[in-house]
Amino acid sequence: MIEGFRLGVFSRGTTLWDGLDFAFGDAAAWFVAGAPSSGKSLLLSILRGERKPDAGDVLVSGESLYRGNAALARAWRASCGHVPEQTIADARPTVGDLFRRSALAGGGVRESERKDRTDRLLGMVGLPGALGWRIAELSISERVRACLAAELLRGPKVLFCDGVVAGAGNPWREMLWGLFRALAREGNTVVLAERTIPERWALAAGDAEPVGPFRVYRLPVPGGGMKGEPG
Amino acid sequence: METIGRFLFFCLLGFAFLSLLLSGGASRFLAERYAVTAVLRADVPPAEAAGLARKVAALPPVRSAAFRDPEAAWKEFLRAYPGLDALRGADGNPMPGYIEIRFRPDRLTGSDVDVVTSALRTVPLVERILAGEEWLPRLLRAGRLASRVAWGIFGAFLAGFFVVGRLQERARAVALAGDFAFLAERGVPAGRLAFLRAAAAAVSGLLLAAAGTAAGGGALFLSLRNVPFLEGVIGPPSDLLLPRTVAAAVLFSCGAALLSAAASLLGSRAARTGRK
Repeated sequence: MIEGFRLGVFSRGTTLWDGLDFAFGDAAAWFVAGAPSSGKSLLLSILRGERKPDAGDVLVSGESLYRGNAALARAWRASCGHVPEQTIADARPTVGDLFRRSALAGGGVRESERKDRTDRLLGMVGLPGALGWRIAELSISERVRACLAAELLRGPKVLFCDGVVAGAGNPWREMLWGLFRALAREGNTVVLAERTIPERWALAAGDAEPVGPFRVYRLPVPGGGMKGEPG
Repeated sequence: METIGRFLFFCLLGFAFLSLLLSGGASRFLAERYAVTAVLRADVPPAEAAGLARKVAALPPVRSAAFRDPEAAWKEFLRAYPGLDALRGADGNPMPGYIEIRFRPDRLTGSDVDVVTSALRTVPLVERILAGEEWLPRLLRAGRLASRVAWGIFGAFLAGFFVVGRLQERARAVALAGDFAFLAERGVPAGRLAFLRAAAAAVSGLLLAAAGTAAGGGALFLSLRNVPFLEGVIGPPSDLLLPRTVAAAVLFSCGAALLSAAASLLGSRAARTGRK
């Protein structure tokens, strides 16, 4: 479980938000909706252990990320998958390079296993045979999906996605809907940060929990029990 | 291409290193050409002269001490100065017997020459000693200077390798900046990445240097066998297989490994700080 207690952020000379409590239970898909510049990316970076909050703390399975063991924090960051909103600043690499990096971050994956999983993941996100394509040649939607597939290569227990649904575009919403819920059903935790939640998703998820400038939805998991707690 | 280039560079460097090591710089060249001549009295029996030569050969700085009897000396004289047979008149062979003493390349020093000449001066059989005391110090100084220049040039090439290696590592680190940022974002410390890269550079440097030095040593071995002049300057091919030569080659490879690791670390740090 990922818990944020009394989280506060001071950014650009002003308090962005303060005193927010979050609780993202395990084996669930969470959707955090927030207006532009509300601090969604900041929230994800704090939950991932990359940026220390200006107030409050984040606990992962009861252990503090920022006030505890530094090795634990590094291990947490290594175990998380992250698809940032600004996908790739350097457009020179290929899709294959993304998967190579992901495999490196995951402590190394056998070549044969990596190739097999890569092909399946790329097929799943609608980019079959794209391994040799340069990132510069991809559209925004294709970049987002390629990054997502690369992060899934090493099977992260927790996946943070920033603007993935909007970036992938409407045609891929169904695929992402099924993917995130399937990941949650398999025991993984997915935290999505978007400006708005697709209407159909909102209907399926039910009422959101307001947390500061955000609304937190819990997406329904097919065939799964109600694990964890809402924020 | 870079690996091939480094391998060829280590071949050349290994060839040069082993040549300098075996030759002692200019020491072997000088030792081949310098000799102390102990001119014996005319009435010294050959057996006593040969015995004295054996005793001189046993001295630590001495590589060889060969007795030349008067007849052998006369023949050498005629080879050097043909047409002077008439000097051998009714009085017989005017040439005395002598002992030619050559020094070990690593013991051709002023003090070692003094040790040998001092020992010979006390022997009644010896009439005169020709050791070139007037010009020997200048010769040895020139030899030392030549050795220092040779090793200095070698060191300059090694330093050049380090500089080029650092620039290459920096360029590689810049090219891999995206990978490093990706991994750092996922909890892999930058220090650990730099250490792992330096370790990899050390291993590859060690292997390339060992392979290059072995290849350079092989080329030197063939050169020494096929070019007799080189053997006089550098030494016999068999010296390449001596344990001390092999140990020196191993140390050289380890030094190259350390240089490679240092170049990797400094190159990575320069890439992170944005310095050239």
